[in-house]
Amino acid sequence: MYSIELQDVTKTFDKHVAVDNLSLAVPEGSIYGFIGPNGAGKTTTIRMIMNILYPDRGKIKLLGSEHLGTRLDRVGYLPEERGLYKKMKVREILHFHAELKKGKNINREISFWLDKLDLSDWANKKVETLSKGMSQKLQFIATIIDRPEIIILDEPFSGLDPVNADILRIAILELQSSGATIIFSTHDMNVAEKMCDYIFMIFKGKKVLDGTLASIQDKYGTDTIRIQTENGISVLKGLSGIEKINDFGQMQEIRISPGTDTQEILANIMGKTRVIKFEITKPSLNDIFIRIAGPEAREEENA
Amino acid sequence: MRKILILASREYRTSVRTKSFVIGILLAPVLMGGSMVAFMLLKDKVDIRDKTIAVIDHSELMADTLVKTAEYRNENEIFDEETGEKIRPAYLIEVVQADSSDLFNVRLELSDRVRSRELHAFLEIGSEIIHPSENYEKSRIKYYSEHAFMDDVINWFSWPINNRIRQIRIAELNLNEEAVGDLFYWNNIESMGLINVDKKTGDLQDAERTNELETFLIPYIMVLLMFMMVMMSAIPLLTAVMEEKIERIAEVLLGSVTPFQFMMGKIIGSISVSLTISAVYIIGGIVTASQMDVGDMIPFHVLPWFFTFLVLFVIMVGSTMAALGSACNDNKDAQSLQFPAMIPVLLPLFIMIPIIQNPISGFATTLSLIPPFTPTLMIIRLATPVTIPLWQPIAGLAGVILYTIFSVWAGGRIFRTCILMQGTKPKLANMIRYVFRG
Repeated sequence: MYSIELQDVTKTFDKHVAVDNLSLAVPEGSIYGFIGPNGAGKTTTIRMIMNILYPDRGKIKLLGSEHLGTRLDRVGYLPEERGLYKKMKVREILHFHAELKKGKNINREISFWLDKLDLSDWANKKVETLSKGMSQKLQFIATIIDRPEIIILDEPFSGLDPVNADILRIAILELQSSGATIIFSTHDMNVAEKMCDYIFMIFKGKKVLDGTLASIQDKYGTDTIRIQTENGISVLKGLSGIEKINDFGQMQEIRISPGTDTQEILANIMGKTRVIKFEITKPSLNDIFIRIAGPEAREEENA
Repeated sequence: MRKILILASREYRTSVRTKSFVIGILLAPVLMGGSMVAFMLLKDKVDIRDKTIAVIDHSELMADTLVKTAEYRNENEIFDEETGEKIRPAYLIEVVQADSSDLFNVRLELSDRVRSRELHAFLEIGSEIIHPSENYEKSRIKYYSEHAFMDDVINWFSWPINNRIRQIRIAELNLNEEAVGDLFYWNNIESMGLINVDKKTGDLQDAERTNELETFLIPYIMVLLMFMMVMMSAIPLLTAVMEEKIERIAEVLLGSVTPFQFMMGKIIGSISVSLTISAVYIIGGIVTASQMDVGDMIPFHVLPWFFTFLVLFVIMVGSTMAALGSACNDNKDAQSLQFPAMIPVLLPLFIMIPIIQNPISGFATTLSLIPPFTPTLMIIRLATPVTIPLWQPIAGLAGVILYTIFSVWAGGRIFRTCILMQGTKPKLANMIRYVFRG
């Protein structure tokens, strides 16, 4: 059973194709990560799911129905750009959003979430008095106050400090365990890798990745070595069989050419310096993202 | 509908809870009532300082009369009969002789004395005032002052001068003044309403004398009230929607409501605000008028039309303003769009006088049937004592309903397209395209 289904959806703004023939199926109860560079079509896709924008072609189903309007009360949506009425009080604004979504046990839910996200002391303060992080948490509560079946979060962690990001992450996982389907878009590949059951990547309006992290990594094979040596990147330069080196300072990530013997590379490096760590692994999501959307991909495209 | 009402309720509560709303709603009647009270209190507080008026009498027939009449007035008419307190200024007449060769210098000298406040004014009476038809130029009577308009003194001079002229003319004809008293009686034509039949009793109701002030004042107040309501509730929607777009509140709400519900919530909130204010003002007006025994002046039969047209007018203007607000990205955009959008609201104010004067003219009838102008102009016509054919307000109402539906439909389509569009300048051509192509 899928919570959200997109079939051959296309959306064009003037001559720019923002979303091109996109098909997607989000399983019920999963966490689905939307990744892609800025302007790739993530927000447009989300806005079409939310019936804010209408697709030019294709079908969208929410909870099994194409009549999105009737299903939207069962969806919570946190847009990328946050906006709250500044003159309203925290409790008042949550009440307003809960009423719009036909929330049940509104007062109890408000108290529960304010307490959980550490905002109880601000319940009777005006929104304009909150810090950016607090406003973001408040916006999150407004999104999920009616316990929706589908929760769509556009960049939910952006601008949050690690403590608040952790509070939010726990809340999202709890909502998933209580049965909600979660979609969130992010630029943080670590978060996507750790939290998402499925990852979908869109680039220039087209779907370029869709599946579990393991299935995506499998496509790229075991072509990555993470290495830590006493001399850093200097000893890796000029070695044969290496396609690309990502230098992280204390550690380097090497992508090897197809058919290269990893033991030969190890032997060559050990001949030059002392190796502290050597790990043969699948590429990270971050690396896959850059392979698809980075300068390297653009060069290939231009060639 | 439930969501529209929740949004409208928030809009309404946000508006009426502000200090500016409370101050505004109280201040207008306080200012209006206060000015009336101030007028009542100050109407007797006239300047009682004596006023000296110089008179150049080329006819040599009037100076003595004016001096004597002024002396009589100063002795008998400027003191309160009970208290003996001086309540009006005395008029002191200074007769000035002037040769025709030196007349301009005399006038200049007197003008300088007026400017230095030594004189209040000066009067110049022509030499041929008894027979103006023989030499009109020499029959003129001129009153020179810094502000002759609204000056009581000029009115006071009219009676003794004209009375004296009449006496001289009667004497020239060798008539007995007492015998020809009626010769100078001027019959005024009284303006009356029409005869009516009482619908309940069937009795004939005599016509009542029409009050010119009432004829003008009631339509004027009604249209002013409607204008105020639209200015206070519908026009601010442009900036309110623009701010919600800029602050990204719109997109958050669009996760819960459709763009149409969002727009209608704001418009219904505005209608509620305008109905609250109008109800307060109209009830206040009725109570005040009843207390002042002028309750008969209130046109109760127009009130249902007023509220119906007011609601439709707020929806019509509100949907336009909300649509334009959704297309704006900053205050500059808003300012450039606000004035043209207000033309249907402002134009009736400029043409209201000829419409009050002749509410059944072709001009008034045609304009009042053009939907954007109908709410205000039809109310003006209905509020005058003239009966207009019933089909006209009904046809006007039908036109306004259709136009309002179109405004909401077109506004909704612009709103839906523009509310999430950032950085695109609002252009009329684009907006028309959004209406018809989405």
